[in-house]
Formats: sequence, C-alpha cells, structure tokens
Amino acid sequence: MPTITIDNQTFEFEGQHGLLQFCLDNGVDLPHFCYHPAMSAPANCRQCLVEVGMPQRDRATGEISTDEDGNPLIQFMPKLQTSCSMQMADGMVVQTHRSSELVKRAQKDTLEFLLINHPLDCPICDQAGHCPLQNQAYKHGPEGSRFEFEKVHKPKHIDLGPRVVLDGERCINCTRCVRFTREVSKSDQLTIIERGVKNYPMTPPGVEFNEPYSMNVIDICPVGALTSKDHRFKARIWEMSKTASVSTVGAKGSNCYYWVKDNQIMKVTPRTNMDVNEFWLADEERLEYRKFNEDRPDGPTVEGAPVSWELAWKAAADCLSGVDGSRILFLGSAWATVEDNYLLAKMADAVGASAPVYLPHVEEGHGDGWLRTDDRTPNAQGCERLGIHAASAQDLKARLEAGEIDVLYVMEDDPVASGVCSVADLAGIKVVLHHYNTTNQTLQAADVALPAAMAVETVGTFVNVDGHAQRLRPAKAIAGVNRTLSMEIGKCRADRHGTPFDKWYNESNLINCQPGWVALPAVAAALGHEMTYKGPKQIMEEVSASNPAFKGATYSAMGELGVRLESTGVTA
Amino acid sequence: MADFIKHPVVGLPDRKPDPVIPADQLHFSDEEKKQIQTWISRYPTADGAVMRALWLAQEKFGFLPPEVVQLVADELNIPYANAYGVATFYTQYFKEKKGKYVLDVCTCFSCQLCGGFDMLHYLEEKLNVHKGETTEDGIFTVQEAECLGACGSAPMLQITNGTYVHNLTEEKIDALIDALREDRMPAFTSVTLPQDEDELGGNRRSDVEHTEAYQAGPVSETTR
Repeated sequence: MPTITIDNQTFEFEGQHGLLQFCLDNGVDLPHFCYHPAMSAPANCRQCLVEVGMPQRDRATGEISTDEDGNPLIQFMPKLQTSCSMQMADGMVVQTHRSSELVKRAQKDTLEFLLINHPLDCPICDQAGHCPLQNQAYKHGPEGSRFEFEKVHKPKHIDLGPRVVLDGERCINCTRCVRFTREVSKSDQLTIIERGVKNYPMTPPGVEFNEPYSMNVIDICPVGALTSKDHRFKARIWEMSKTASVSTVGAKGSNCYYWVKDNQIMKVTPRTNMDVNEFWLADEERLEYRKFNEDRPDGPTVEGAPVSWELAWKAAADCLSGVDGSRILFLGSAWATVEDNYLLAKMADAVGASAPVYLPHVEEGHGDGWLRTDDRTPNAQGCERLGIHAASAQDLKARLEAGEIDVLYVMEDDPVASGVCSVADLAGIKVVLHHYNTTNQTLQAADVALPAAMAVETVGTFVNVDGHAQRLRPAKAIAGVNRTLSMEIGKCRADRHGTPFDKWYNESNLINCQPGWVALPAVAAALGHEMTYKGPKQIMEEVSASNPAFKGATYSAMGELGVRLESTGVTA
Repeated sequence: MADFIKHPVVGLPDRKPDPVIPADQLHFSDEEKKQIQTWISRYPTADGAVMRALWLAQEKFGFLPPEVVQLVADELNIPYANAYGVATFYTQYFKEKKGKYVLDVCTCFSCQLCGGFDMLHYLEEKLNVHKGETTEDGIFTVQEAECLGACGSAPMLQITNGTYVHNLTEEKIDALIDALREDRMPAFTSVTLPQDEDELGGNRRSDVEHTEAYQAGPVSETTR
C-alpha cells in the first residue's frame, strides 16, 4: 500500500487524496483559509504551505538512491507547496510547521501579509471568537505588524442582499463565497472585483445577492467580511450555547446547531452531515427561529382560564371520557416527533377511536430538489411510517360538517389556519389542543389548551423525506423540572452552558409548556389508561422493536448523524 | 500608487446604475458575433474568450458600462459576474466614459525617478484637469498608470491603450497635445537599445519606420 511520511510519521493511504484534506482527516492540523472540502482548491491564501519531497531516483537505473545507512535520499521541491492543491503520491515526504522552520516562517509571513490591511476591529466584529483568521494569527502569526502606513479603506457594511452584509476591509479574498455561488449553489451572483489591494467580493451592478442559500457564505467566510443581517450584533459567540439538532422547516431535516442565549434561540447554523445536507443550510431554515421565542403560551388553560397542569390533564381526560370512540377525531402532526405521534396513536387505540390522521402542509413548487422541499413539515415521513396518514382538509371539513365528530383532539397543529374549519364550526365540538404558539387560530375554540414543547425543547425523532431518522436534542430549557430534558441538555452540550449545572444558568424566558411524551401519558393516566415510559428513549426502543418501518432506529444507533431507515414504499 | 497610500479609499461601484447605451444599439453585429465565436473555438471553455470579447465591445461602444458587460457575458454564455470581475480587474477596460484620448502617464518606479510625476503634473496644468479627470471638451483624459514596461525610455506615456510616447519632455508633450487636437496620432516608435546601434543602422526592427535610439542617461558620481 502506498505510504506518505508527514512530520516523520508514516501513514498508509489508498486512492487519490488532496494532501491538506488527508492531513486534516488524520489529525495533522494545518492552517488554511481558502480551502473548503466541498469546493475546488484555488490555493490563493497561501496559508497551508508545506515542504514536499519525493525519494530521489537514479536517472540511469530508476532505482531509489539511498545514503550509506540505506535510507532513501529525499529531494525536496525547491519552493514550498500549497498542500490544498497537492495530490499525494507514494513515498512522498511532507514537513509541516511542526518539523520545518521554513514552513513556520512562511505561515507567519503569510499571516503578516493577510493582516496588513485587515482592520483591528475584532472587539466589534461578529466573527470574533470563531474566526479562523483570529485563531490562526494567535497560533501561527507574528506578534505585531511592521506595517506603519494607513490601511487601505474599502466599502464597509454594504447590503449585498436581503440577508448578507459585506465588510470589504475584513475580506482576505479567499474567494470561498465566490466559489460557493459558482460551484455549489450555481447562482453566480458574486465575483471578486478590482485587483491587488483594492479587491473585494461584490455582486455585479444591478444584481442582488438574494439566492435562497445566500447565508451559507457567512459560515464559510473565514473572517468577518460576510455577516448575517439578522444576527448582526445580537450576541457574541461565547455568550451562546450550541446544540446539535435538526431543522424543522422542511422535510429534508437538515442537520443544524441551535445557538441559545438566555433560553432564546439566537441563530441556526448548519451541521455537517454528508448523508443529508452536507455542509449547507437554506436561508429559510436559518431565519425561521422566532417561532421558538415569540408568541409562546404560558401554562395550560381550560375554557381560556389558566389552570394547573394537573387540572388541565383532568379536563382533557374529561373531554374524552364517556364519548364513543368513533366520534373522536385524533389529529396527529407532522411537526411533532415520532414518539409523540406514536403515543397519540396508542391513546386513540385505547379509547377505541380510529388511527389518527395528520394535515399535510405541502406548498407545491417550493422545493428545489436540494435542501428545500415542497413539504414544509419535518416529520411527515415519520407519521406515514407509524400508520398515521395524511388527510385532506376537505375530507375533515366534510366529516365535521356531517356532525360525525364530538371531540377533536389536536396535537401540535392548527386545523383552523389549515382551512379544515372555522372557529364557529367548532362551537358544538369539544377541542383539546396541544399548541406551540399563541398565534394558533384554533386556540380560540379550544376547551383545553395544553402548551407543547417545540422541537428545540424536546427529545425525539424526526424522519426526513429520504427516510433518514434523526434525533432532536433540547437546545433550551423549559419551565418546570424534567429530569430527562435536563440530562439531555447536560449530555449534548460539551460546555454544559445554560444547563442548571453551570454558572450561566438563568431563568429568563423559560416557557411553561410540556413535551408530548409527558402530556400524552398524563392525559391517558387521567383517563385511566396506563402509558408509563421512562422517557422518549424507551418509547423509541419500543417503536423500533415493534414497527419494521423503524427497524434499527434506536437512540444509540441514531447518535449525532442519524440512521437511514429501510424504504417501506410509503411516501409522505 | 503613491496617491493611493495618501488617500487609500476604494470606492463602491454604483450598484444600480441607469443604462447609458440605448437598447436599440446594444447588440453585436453578425460579423462581430462570428468573430467572437471564432475566439471561443480557440479555448477549451468560453471563459477564455472573455478578454477579447470585452475588448471588442470596448472598441465598439467606447467603454464598458454594466449593460455592455452583460451583453458580452450573454454572447459568451458565461455568468455576468465572471465577466464583470474580469472587466474590473484590468484598468485598460474603461468602466466609465473617458475622453477621446486617454493619456496614461507612467509614474511607476523608473519613470518616477526620471521625472514621471513632473510630466504628469505638467500635463495636468496644461489641460487644467486633475488625474483621473476628463477635459471639458471631452478630448483628453489624464491618468496615472502603473509600469507600462518601457522603463528604458522613461518617462513615458501611453495614448488610449495604444501608442507609446517615449522619453517625454515638456516640449514633446506640447507637440503631442497639439497633434492630438488635430487628430494626428503619433506613429509607433521602436526604441532601440545601445548595443543595437552598430547593427542594422541602429534598428533591429526593420519592420517599423520610426525608431528612436535609447539615450543612456548621466550616471551618478557615486555609482561610477
């Protein structure tokens, strides 16, 4: 097998590899700015320079020349090479800054060049704290600048488009953003204009940088040149905790991080999962986080009056008890997790009602075949696999109007806003509603309203449109004590930031709501049906063991990156 | 460049400019299209022909406002942003309307030492404009240029991306301005190096009519 020696350590490899990517994959950290694994390597930042040599060969015989000890003589290339654009070869010898003073010096000097015209505004820069330029200047850079002239001034805080702001001075012209629009999103909206010290990225005249994936350039920008208009100056990176979870905006289930400060979601950024969204996240998935913070209910209500949770469970059970099962309509939800929908189906079965249905939220033509989908819900596929099928608003409307329904049990959806019925239509019908937001239009008709934890506050599973089962983790705390949620928060955040166990914990903005896997067993218990589970983990174990459509989808198997479920032929 | 250090401010391009070329004139003729296709066929991808196509457009329209760059991009079937990036990279592509004659006075290293700035300032005073500006009659634009690769005959200037005028003096500038006002473009002049003087009558370039022998300047006492 071919071998390569990096800093006197020998690695075996197979196939074609870029040297920089191979180093990064094998724990040999090399500083770099312009290289990104999803895009071509232009080798223009010059930060990943290394010394590269090959064994010397005798010209006449083609044999590898050796010194008197029998070690091969290494002929190094006369100049340093950019490791990002270097293809590996058998016998190659690489010296990084760990073993070569020359490379160390080159990296330091490159950084001095990059910093000549870079403004010293880290204290007010959104990128500070997670800035590759800042980090690498600390690690590999010079101690000061020898450049004593006035820096070049370029346009600052320019609206490149509706969501992205440019600061031309901070740009180091790595061209990652330009290559993103050219090679990944293919919108071709950005280019580098001017030349030499004057250049910076810009749209051509008359073009707005408004593609639906524009905010990805903010993540890949290795400096603070491109920042989010939405998140600008809202929070420093070290004030927020980040939690690995799944986006709730579309059926693709893009992996993301939720960033939380004071129990409020501040921003959403992509999390790499090569099976789902690779490195990217659509703008809509980043910007639809206000629903988690705003218009949230405060505790349960019965007939509009606030009550304790115990009374609310009782009231919900009262609505269901004594009613013929066939006259109860259970409405599941493609917004809710597999666990919660499973419990709802179980409850429907217990009271003798037919299996729940869910309302599809499909917007024809919204999808683009990439990360945006026509389906605007995250878990329609999970519902289908549970045997909870889509029901059209017209069918439900007809059933309500025919007077077939006495009790409507709605989990985490809004039948009024979906056009199933009007508030007036529900006058004679008992309505139990688990809701996320006070803007829910069905709330006015609800006899019992039970605030539900949203995807950022619960533990659960979503199945995406391709059948990829992925775990949700609680990014922020809710009011009340829930051991399972606290444990999950403590486990899934490396810094344990914002959990009851650290000094940053605070009680502001705690929402008084309950996750479905707490609420549904509580209502069932009040009805006299036992549904006892230790938590969603146990529920999912039962689902994966009993339902072949979820085979293998246990929490330990799903981990951070999810599990691809076998195709069942069901499409959401 | 020296000016850039004193006033190091890069402008923002006009993001939403009004078109200056009327829509009915904004097209290439069939002949020009054929020419561009010939150029495209010489390169592996159409991007390769972008510089020649931009040049053709500049010759046709006089300068390259955004709509012309867009026209070129459409003709080559490449992204507008690519073509715009190339157009802004080169100062020889004029992004705004210039005078009939653009005088690029070199003030880079060799010319600066031999009096490039004196020539630039003389020209500015004579035409009553600052560098980068166009005279009111729209005939001359004076610009400061980086090295134009004629250090041997410094100081020098270039007329509208074309003819060089070597070994500038104030008298030579006077004569040049008078000639250009009458639309008499100076002829191409080959400047020969001293070692050529013994051969071919001092002119290796037997294909040109005008030659000028390189004059070795006075050498400083200290270097001698």
